[in-house]
Amino acid sequence: MSQSVAHPEETTSARAVPLERLIVMANQIADFFSPYPGPRRAEGIRNHLRTYWDPRMRQDLIDHIAAGGDGVSPSIVEGAQLLTTGDDRKGYYGPPKA
Amino acid sequence: MANPTKPDKQVITTCAYCGVGCGFKAETHQGRIVRMIPWKEGKANHGHSCIKGRFAFDYYQSNDRITTPMIRASIDDAWTPVSWEKAIQHAASELRRVQAKYGTKSVGAISSSRCTNEEIFLVQKFARAVLGNNNIDNCARICHSPTQFGLSATVGWGAASQHFDSILQADVIMIVGANPTEGHPVFGSLMKRRLRQGAKLIVIDPRRTESVNSPHIKADVHLNLRPGTNVAVLDSIAHVIIREKLYNEEFVRSRCEWDEFERWAAFVSSERYAPESIGPQAGLSPELIRQAARLYASGPNSAIYYGLGVTEHSQGSTGVMCLGNLTLSCGMLGREGVGVNPLRGQGNVQGGSCLGSWPHVFSGYRFVTDDEVRASFEKDWGVTLDAEPGLRLPNMFDAAIAGNFRGMFIMGEDPVQSDPNQGHIIQAMRQMECVVIQDLFLNETAKYAHVFLPGSSSLEKDGTFTSAERRVNRVRKVVEPLAGYQDWEIVVLLMNAMGYPAQYADAGEILNEVARLSPAYKGISFELLDRIGSAQWPCDENAPEGTEVLHRKTFPRANGRGTFMLTEYVPTAERTNDTFPLLLTTGRILTQYNVGTQTRRTENNRWHAEDVLEICEHDASVRGIKDGDRVRIASRFGSTELRAKYSERVSGGVVYTTFHHAETRINVVTSDLSDWATNCPEYKVTAVEVVKVEIGSSAKKAKKKKRDEVVTA
Repeated sequence: MSQSVAHPEETTSARAVPLERLIVMANQIADFFSPYPGPRRAEGIRNHLRTYWDPRMRQDLIDHIAAGGDGVSPSIVEGAQLLTTGDDRKGYYGPPKA
Repeated sequence: MANPTKPDKQVITTCAYCGVGCGFKAETHQGRIVRMIPWKEGKANHGHSCIKGRFAFDYYQSNDRITTPMIRASIDDAWTPVSWEKAIQHAASELRRVQAKYGTKSVGAISSSRCTNEEIFLVQKFARAVLGNNNIDNCARICHSPTQFGLSATVGWGAASQHFDSILQADVIMIVGANPTEGHPVFGSLMKRRLRQGAKLIVIDPRRTESVNSPHIKADVHLNLRPGTNVAVLDSIAHVIIREKLYNEEFVRSRCEWDEFERWAAFVSSERYAPESIGPQAGLSPELIRQAARLYASGPNSAIYYGLGVTEHSQGSTGVMCLGNLTLSCGMLGREGVGVNPLRGQGNVQGGSCLGSWPHVFSGYRFVTDDEVRASFEKDWGVTLDAEPGLRLPNMFDAAIAGNFRGMFIMGEDPVQSDPNQGHIIQAMRQMECVVIQDLFLNETAKYAHVFLPGSSSLEKDGTFTSAERRVNRVRKVVEPLAGYQDWEIVVLLMNAMGYPAQYADAGEILNEVARLSPAYKGISFELLDRIGSAQWPCDENAPEGTEVLHRKTFPRANGRGTFMLTEYVPTAERTNDTFPLLLTTGRILTQYNVGTQTRRTENNRWHAEDVLEICEHDASVRGIKDGDRVRIASRFGSTELRAKYSERVSGGVVYTTFHHAETRINVVTSDLSDWATNCPEYKVTAVEVVKVEIGSSAKKAKKKKRDEVVTA
């Protein structure tokens, strides 16, 4: 059977990455930072999203959290919060800072 | 007829196959290459070579090489050959049209590790300065991107700590997820030489590879773990090292962040990482994990070499961090004979990584979000640059399907064949309004392209490659470019056509720009390389001829200290079940190279004319499959057909194949799961089922395979 050229529902949105996939990616990041204590975990997540995610991906995540954040890990919610409150843009490598 | 063994010209250049970077003397007769002689002065190969570098060069004059630019309005149309001028103008105006319609960020560029440093640097400049966004990625995304991430986090630089010859000082060699004798043969021979002298060997790999047992090699410890359990097993090794106090406290105290070490030590000493608890999950005896830990820590010189078996997992970056943690904790860095070393797949993957073909960093792994760094590029290039990270390769395809990505410039890559979940990629490619491909051949991706720019092989251009040992080697033009231009010259034409004035008299001038803007390459130039042959970065005023061993006194981090990352094991979401009870893992073989674009077009094809599915006799016979039968392999994503081969190299529950032949379409089967940090695809773990194909239906399918469509399950 040939591959069809079906358009997903989100054709008209401003999304860079379909929401479902975005949530999977975000929760994978949360899993990685889970062994770190609260504030460091949130900062590690913020730094990762800020440094590696296209701004449209970040905005979609923030919007989704504002709309209830269905399916998003609580630590991602904490990390994403820091995206909107802080303006530290410079990224770094290594363990999350306190 | 003239005797072809009497060449009329010799040129010293560097092999473009794997990341070893062997030096060759290319000999030509009347403008055609007649043979490649391994170069004795080559610092990676010392006169050795493998059968790819030595014999697989004829692809460059293959009958199906494209030497005329071509365009078409739609991917359903036939190609129309046009002049260079017309093709460049068409590509430029189409990319600009797409940007005007869908936005600045609706287009991007992909560079290739088969191209030179100069070309890779120029493509990222094209994306950032001309397209005006950071949608630039390279094929390291799908192989060693976790290396950059994981090693930067722990030891500071995402690159091998050693030069290849360092292995001759190693007492214990640990190979993780790599098979050097097949994938990096010249380095494999060097490793064998050291093993013959008595070095001990640990292999961590689901398969009983050549590195486990073959002439001159017998692994002292083989951890044939279940695919997907690397992080669990490496944490368990660390557990033993901490619990038995085998770590090097003096090194950690003097060279590393002690607080982070203590936190990590407490983390891995948890009972959940005890060999008794990890062993059963990974299919290993706990005692074997202990043996590996004790042997590695005992050294005195232990060296880790690893490959895509570490990186191509949903926890690829975490796996690399585990290796960084291990080397630091045992003090196995900063001298000869030790280290942590990625074995890079393509000739210039290290260069691709170094030179900023990433959406988030400029050359030298410096963040685009860093105002100071960005300002230095803006000053040199005379334009304002995007301060936000761009889309990664898999995200570009996602964005295409979501409706916000409509144009691509692809130099020397074939994502439709090489990237995972092929059905998804094709669906994305079909959304594009302008795909510009620069390549030697009409590859799988070209089926979805609108402009084809005929590129040049590495035998037809000047520049440099950076090998897996950070060695910058000269690539020299052996024959004239068949289509008229070297690849970097084509990019320059495109930049100018799109309104950005770019002028370089030769590739050396691009390298000078690289040196000006990248601290580790500061001292590198054609003049230096022509004088001393090659140089390993960092190369600057402190190391005017380069650096063999990294981290001798400090680590390239802000405080100069190495650090430890907490590496929790998170099992992949890809699980076996009743429908897909086997795990598929993929890899490559000595005679062929990657997706085979080059090697399949040479006589090397005789050694490996098709990809076969390695399966253990038990798993095969319960399915009624005999050795040599045609089988259908299916996953949640798709299915394809190939021949089965009984193999003792794979354990029960695991099957294996190579991905050298487009007809196999194995990436129809592979999953779309990816590394948490870098989106590097999880090629190494896909749950599958294998069934025998009845002869009648096989013939029907074989006919259908010729079509341009993906056959889905």
